[in-house]
Amino acid sequence: MDQRQVVSENYANPITCFFHVLFKAGALAFYILFSLFVKSFVIIFVITVLLAALDFWVVKNVSGRILVGLRWWNEIDDDGNSVWKFECLDGESLARMNKKDSWLFWWTLYLTAAAWIVLGIFSLIRLEADYLLVVGVCLSLSIANIVGFTKCNKDAKKNIQTFAQNALASRVTSSLQSAFGVI
Amino acid sequence: MSPHPLHSSSGVSDMDEMAATHAHAHAHAHAARAQVVVLPSARPSSPPRASIPVSSSAYAPPQTAAAKLPFSAAVSAPTSASGSITVAIASSGLGPEPSTLTEPVWDTVKRDLARIVSNLKLVVFPNPFREDPGKALRDWDLWGPFFFIVLLGLILSWSATAKKSQVFAVAFAVLAAGAIVLTLNVLLLGGNIIFFQSLSLLGYCLFPLDVGALICMLKDSVILKMVVVTVTLAWSSWAAYPLMSAAVNPKRKALALYPVFLMYISVACLIIAID
Repeated sequence: MDQRQVVSENYANPITCFFHVLFKAGALAFYILFSLFVKSFVIIFVITVLLAALDFWVVKNVSGRILVGLRWWNEIDDDGNSVWKFECLDGESLARMNKKDSWLFWWTLYLTAAAWIVLGIFSLIRLEADYLLVVGVCLSLSIANIVGFTKCNKDAKKNIQTFAQNALASRVTSSLQSAFGVI
Repeated sequence: MSPHPLHSSSGVSDMDEMAATHAHAHAHAHAARAQVVVLPSARPSSPPRASIPVSSSAYAPPQTAAAKLPFSAAVSAPTSASGSITVAIASSGLGPEPSTLTEPVWDTVKRDLARIVSNLKLVVFPNPFREDPGKALRDWDLWGPFFFIVLLGLILSWSATAKKSQVFAVAFAVLAAGAIVLTLNVLLLGGNIIFFQSLSLLGYCLFPLDVGALICMLKDSVILKMVVVTVTLAWSSWAAYPLMSAAVNPKRKALALYPVFLMYISVACLIIAID
C-alpha cells in the first residue's frame, strides 16, 4: 500500500483501498494457512466463507462506488421480472476518479478470482470435496462481483457517451470544451 | 430563448415541492426542500434504488424526490450559461449528491439489515402478500439464507460427537445444492419463477428448522425432539408452500412441492439423528 509506483499520483482513498484488499487477502490467507496447519474443516469453512461474504458486501456496496463510482444490484419489478440496476456517477465525476484506485480495484477483483480457481484445482487434484465446497462458495462470490461491475462499467460508458453527445449538441462554450478535453 | 428554459426548470421544481407537500409529512417536505436547494449541483444518473414500502418506508420519500432530480438537472445543464456551469462544477464537490452512490456506509448497512429482517418476516410469518409471494419477496437477498444455512451446519456439527467436519459439509452441501436443484426443478416444470428469488425464499424457510435444531441441541429428550422437529418442519413447509404452488401449473403442483417437502424432511431427519 505504501509503495508509490507513480510519483505524480497517489491513492485518493487509501482507507477504502485497504479494506477492499483486506478481506480478500484475509480469506485467502486463512484458507491457505489453516488448511495447512489446522485440520478443523468447520473452522476453516466458517471463517473463510464469512470473510469472502464480507469482501463481497464491501466491494459491492462501498469500495465499488468510492473507488470507481459504480454500483449494481438486482431487483424485481411490478411485472415480476428480474431487472438489473446499474448506477454510476456522471461523466465529469467519473473523469475525476483516481486512476490508481481504479487500477487497484479491477486488478484485485480478477486476481482474487484467479487465486480461488488455482486453489480449487489443487483441491480437485487432492480429491478433497469438502475444501472444494469452500472454494466454490468463494469463487461464486468473486465472479458475481466481476460480472456485476463489468456490466455496470459498460452501462456507465454508454451514459458518458450520451452525456457527451448531448453536451456537444448544445453548442457549449470554449471553457466547457476545455473541460471535456480533460475527459 | 433563455426565459423559457428557466420557466420549465422552475415548473419542475414547483411540481417536486407540491408532490412532496402532498405525499409526506412536514419533516419529509423539509428534506425535499433541502434537496431542491442542492438541485443545481445534481448530475444526471440512473434512478436510486427503490425499495418496497413494507421494508423501508422511511427511505421512500427522499428516493422519490431524488428520482425526479436527474430530469430537471438534464433540462437545466445544456441550456445554462457558462457562469452557472462553473458554479455547478465548483459546488458539486462540496455537497453530497442525493444518490446511493454517495450515501454514508452506515446508511447502506442499516438498509441491508432492515431488508433482511423484513424478508424474514414476510416469509416465515403471515403477511398480506402470502397469495402473491413474488410481490412479497421483490427485494430479495441471499444474506439471510446464507446465514441460516451456515447456522444450521454449525448447530448440527456442534451436536455431533464424531465426524464434525463431515456433518457440517453434508449439511451445507445438501441445503445449498438442494435449494438450487429445487429451483431448477420448478423451471424445468415450466414454472414462472425467478432463480435468485426462489433461492432466497427457500433459504428463509430454514429459519424454523434452525430454531428447532437449536432447541434439540439444548435438550436431550427424544420425545421433545420429535415434537419440536415436527412442529418446525410443518412451519417450514407452510412457509415454502405459496411460492412453489403459485409458480407452476396447478396440474403439476405436486411435482414441484414434493421435492421441497422431501428436502425439509431430510433436514429434519438430520436434526433428529445427530446426537
